[in-house]
Amino acid sequence: MAKAKIARKSTTIDMTAMCDVGFLLLTFFILTTKFRPQEVTQIDLPASTAQFPLPDINVMKFDISKDGKIFFGLDDQPTRMALLERIEEEYKFDLNDDQRKAFKVMELWGIDINDLPAFLAMDATARGHYEQPGLKIDSTEFEGEHQVENLITWSRYANPELRIAIKGDKSTSYKSFDLLIQTLQRCKVNKFNIITTEKKVAE
Amino acid sequence: MAEMEVANKGKKGKRSKKLSTRVDLTPMVDLAFLLITFFMLATTMNKPKTMEINKPVEDKDQDKDMDEPTIKMSKTLNLMLGDNNKVYWYVSPDEITATSTIELDSTDYSAQGLRAVVKRRQNEVQAMHGDKNELFVMIKPLPGSKLKNTVDALDEMTINGVNKYAILPPKEAIDSLVALQINQKRK
Repeated sequence: MAKAKIARKSTTIDMTAMCDVGFLLLTFFILTTKFRPQEVTQIDLPASTAQFPLPDINVMKFDISKDGKIFFGLDDQPTRMALLERIEEEYKFDLNDDQRKAFKVMELWGIDINDLPAFLAMDATARGHYEQPGLKIDSTEFEGEHQVENLITWSRYANPELRIAIKGDKSTSYKSFDLLIQTLQRCKVNKFNIITTEKKVAE
Repeated sequence: MAEMEVANKGKKGKRSKKLSTRVDLTPMVDLAFLLITFFMLATTMNKPKTMEINKPVEDKDQDKDMDEPTIKMSKTLNLMLGDNNKVYWYVSPDEITATSTIELDSTDYSAQGLRAVVKRRQNEVQAMHGDKNELFVMIKPLPGSKLKNTVDALDEMTINGVNKYAILPPKEAIDSLVALQINQKRK
C-alpha cells in the first residue's frame, strides 16, 4: 500500500481579515468610549430597582462623600464656562487663561468659592492631590453666603435644561443629604434624581 | 514569519528581483487587539440608573391659613428610618384620645421585614376602604439613618406598587414621642 502523502501546507495565515475585524472593533470602542472621570472621593452607590438611566447631557451632579462633603460638577464645558464667567463677575475675580482652562476641564470640585482662584492656579498634579474640603453649604436659609444656592441658580441660568443628579454614598448620613435637598428646594428645585446601581428584586 | 520569498526562478538574469507585496499583518493585529483591550477596560459600559424623587413644593407665603389636605390616619403608614439599618413603623389612629394606643414596631429592610409590613398594611387598607391604592406611606428619615436606608425604603414603594408616598421631616408631635421611645435623635 502506498503511503498517503500529506501535503505540506504553509503555516502562515492570511491576517488581513483579522486585521479588519480588529480595527473595526477598535474604531467602535474609540468612538463610544467615555472616560471615567477622575473620582474626587470614593463613592459606594446604594442599590435600587430603579430603571431610569442617567441622561447623557445636561446634568448637574452633586456628589456626597461618606463624611458629608459635597462636590459639584457640570457635564458640559460651555455651561461650565458660563458659570465661571458669572462667578468671576459676582466675586470680582480676575482669572487668567490658564485658570479658566483648568476650570473648563474640572469634572467635579468642592471648595469654598473664595478659594477657587488659588485652587485653579495650582498645577494639575498638585490639584489632583489636594484634598478638597467640600462645598461651603449653609445650614439654614438665613445664614451664610448662599454659595451653593448661587451655583445652582447660575448654572441653571446658563443652561435651563439642567437635570440634577445626586450621587451619594451608601453610608452617607441622611442629615447631609437633607442639607443638600433643603438647599435645592430653596432654589425651587423639587425634582431630582438619586444615582443608584441596579439591583434585582429578591422575591 | 515574514514572507520574503524572493522570486528565484528561471534564469539568473539582470532583471530586478520581484518582491512579494504581501506584508505580514500579525504585529498589526496584535496592536489592534491590544488597543481594543485598553479601550474596553477604560470604557464605562453600564450606565448608572437613577431614582427620581419629587418633593412637595414648599410654599411659604401660601398655605399658612389654608388647611392642609387631611388624610385619614387609618389610611396611612408611618415609617421612621433609624440608625443601625432599622426601620420603625407605626399606624396612628384617626383620632388620638387619652385611651388610644399606637402599635409601634421595628423591622429591617429585607423582603421579610419592611416589604411584609407594607403588604400587610395594603391588605388592611383594602379591607377597610376597599382599595389598597388608598394607602399613604409617610417616610420619615431620622438623622441617624443612612442614604441607603432612604433609597431602600423608596424602593420598597416601587416594588409594592404604593403610589402615594412622601418623604417628610419627622415633625409631628407623635413623631417626637416615637423618637424618644426608640432613643433616636429627631433633629
